Amino acid sequence: MPKLIKNGEIVDNLYTWQQDSESAATETSIVPMSKWLAEQNTIGPVAGIWIDAGEGVESLTDIDLTQFAVIGINFPAFVDGRGFSYARLLRERLGYKGEIRALGSFIADQLGYLLRVGFNGFQFGEEVDLEKALALHKSFSIAYQGDVNEPRPMFLRR
Amino acid sequence: MYQYDAIDQQLVDERVAQFRDQTRRYLNDELSEQDFLPLRLQNGLYVQRYAPMLRIAIPYGMLSSDQLRTLADISRRYDRAYGHFSTRQNLQLNWPKLEDVPDILAELAKVQMHAVQTSGNCIRNTTTDQYAGVIADEVVDPRPYCELIRQWSTFHPEFAFLPRKFKIAVNATESADRAATQVHDIGLHIKKNEAGDIGFKVIVGGGLGRTPMVGVTINEFLPREDLLTYLDAIIRVYNQQGRRDNKYKARIKILVKALGIEEFRKRVDAEWVHLRGKESTVPMSEFERLQGFFTEPAYQALENNPASLTSKLAESAGFARWYERNTFEHKKPGYRIVTLTLKKAGQAPGDATSDQMEKAATLADQFSFGELRVSHEQNLVLSDVRQDQLVDVWEAAKEAGFATPTLGLLTDMICCPGGDFCALANAKSIPIAEQIQQTFDNLDYLYDLGNIDLNISGCMNACGHHHVGNIGILGVDKKGQEFYQVSIGGASGHDASIGKILGPSFAQEEISDVIQKLMDVYVSNRTDEERFIDTYRRVGITPFKEAAYAKAN
Ligand code: HEM
Ligand code: SF4
Repeated sequence: MPKLIKNGEIVDNLYTWQQDSESAATETSIVPMSKWLAEQNTIGPVAGIWIDAGEGVESLTDIDLTQFAVIGINFPAFVDGRGFSYARLLRERLGYKGEIRALGSFIADQLGYLLRVGFNGFQFGEEVDLEKALALHKSFSIAYQGDVNEPRPMFLRR
Repeated sequence: MYQYDAIDQQLVDERVAQFRDQTRRYLNDELSEQDFLPLRLQNGLYVQRYAPMLRIAIPYGMLSSDQLRTLADISRRYDRAYGHFSTRQNLQLNWPKLEDVPDILAELAKVQMHAVQTSGNCIRNTTTDQYAGVIADEVVDPRPYCELIRQWSTFHPEFAFLPRKFKIAVNATESADRAATQVHDIGLHIKKNEAGDIGFKVIVGGGLGRTPMVGVTINEFLPREDLLTYLDAIIRVYNQQGRRDNKYKARIKILVKALGIEEFRKRVDAEWVHLRGKESTVPMSEFERLQGFFTEPAYQALENNPASLTSKLAESAGFARWYERNTFEHKKPGYRIVTLTLKKAGQAPGDATSDQMEKAATLADQFSFGELRVSHEQNLVLSDVRQDQLVDVWEAAKEAGFATPTLGLLTDMICCPGGDFCALANAKSIPIAEQIQQTFDNLDYLYDLGNIDLNISGCMNACGHHHVGNIGILGVDKKGQEFYQVSIGGASGHDASIGKILGPSFAQEEISDVIQKLMDVYVSNRTDEERFIDTYRRVGITPFKEAAYAKAN
């Protein structure tokens, strides 16, 4: 079974990242957000949805997100940083508590920042050695700014 | 100046360790070229024409003498014994070895320095007025606010992969804008409102490069406690909505322009509603803590114009010239701000040798409480020199090649590294600077011409700020030949404006001649009071154009 890093451990990947909008969704699919929004009354239970860069999170404002075990965020290129804001907004503004999974072209050296904005699942491409990636699964021990894990900036804790 | 505590120190130490590991993995082929690129950029490391280039941050231009000595030592041990002070208050080393960079960063960390976010598509080194804290007419000292921004922007987890680089500059006085704030992604002007509260006028969407723009005001008065939440809101909008399909259209200025300032402001406000008043609101205690690092040094009670100064001014024309051009009024009686110019003919503008860095450090220790500043015009500044010691400073500065008395004059140019070092260049820029320095070497004439900003860039990326030079020179490629486009009428202060192109470009050897013609037009048209830029604004471009392209007869 394919693996991923979740909550700091290498675990089995129970879900399928469904990248196209055509195939039928199952209880283990992570389906495109646009598909789910269009078909929400008929689509039935899914594991979750995924957001592509450029889509934003605004259209999720009035959706009950507790029905999703996972929300994926795609990085079309690792230098495309839109997903960092999306994850943070999902956590801080929309109060989402489930797994936020990084999908696509992010790299292990970004884990420190990804963790701080609320990601806790990392589905790397097949070529990535997850043991090695795990070694980078940490932020610096100190941060100046507040973040999803510690909203108080350093100046409130100094 | 700001002193690291254990927290600040740990953070830079961890960063050095991280980069050491990344470099090791890159050299072992565990990290691809493509993946390593943005990681090294966020540590200031470019790979350039002949060698890597390392850009070291000098946050808002403040430097202790010990730090400068370390820079001298590093450039001697790891480079060719010189460095280049840039317009963004950074120091660039042109010849370090990639595998040495982790060690260089470790040396820097020992003196509370780093190269964090000096390049890459992230929030860059914040810059300000090189006279911050020592001039009489500033609203407040901007440096505590710069430090606040430095800490907030350092390793900001959400904004490390923006559409493009992001530069913030701060100004705190009505009388001048020495930080070119209006051509930054965000310019902050510190203000006091009628109630005496401190806040910022916020300007957004300025920038140079291919599409130069002067920024527009997004907020007339932002209370200071709201600074960070407001910056978060602006940059969050930009991070999500800025263009990523074309790197030349990716700066925030393009987004602001495309939406219009009204719509952009609306979007920022819609974001800010959620952030305002939350944890990132800055408490009074933090302002006080930061202000505590920028207290006045132990000034003595002195009188202005001591006899030793006035007599020397009367007897030495050379000294008087230097005093007039290269020193500036200090807020304390009996003190003066001294600029050590890095514009000696034969040396690239902004370059300093390791020896010069050490000499400047010694001067700072002897005469200016052990501190220096780096200016946007690529000079060094001793901010607190006693007037009765100015003669000594002048003598020492002359000996070290720091006393070219041309600050603000035609030959006090801003110049990028250009084709001699930079892989992106269309043309060389340093030889143009040299040519102008050699041609315009008559000090009396330069003084008569007065204040003129001449800025040179080797390509349209505009690192040399040519758009906002009163005279701008831009290297262009014409069928494989190096040519130069000349523009006039740019300005970078409170009256910021983008220069207008004179016409077809010129060959390298024609440049001095063209500048001479522009000067002739100025001299024959000016009124007594007018600077070059004023005359240009009054008479327009036509007479300059006609003169520049007139056939010799
Ligand atoms: C030699 C290596 C350098 C490279 C490869 C480089 C690259 C660039 C590029 C690509 C841009 C355009 C950015 C854009 O339009 O989005 C730029 C702009 C700029 N660079 Fe450099 N640069 C170098 C050196 C310098 C130096 C030495 C300075 C300071 C003297 C400097 C200061 C600036 C400034 C002030 C801008 C304009 C900012 C703006 O567009 O608003 N750069 N640089
Ligand atoms: S303006 Fe062009 S040539 Fe000059 S340093 Fe910048 S990128 Fe290089």
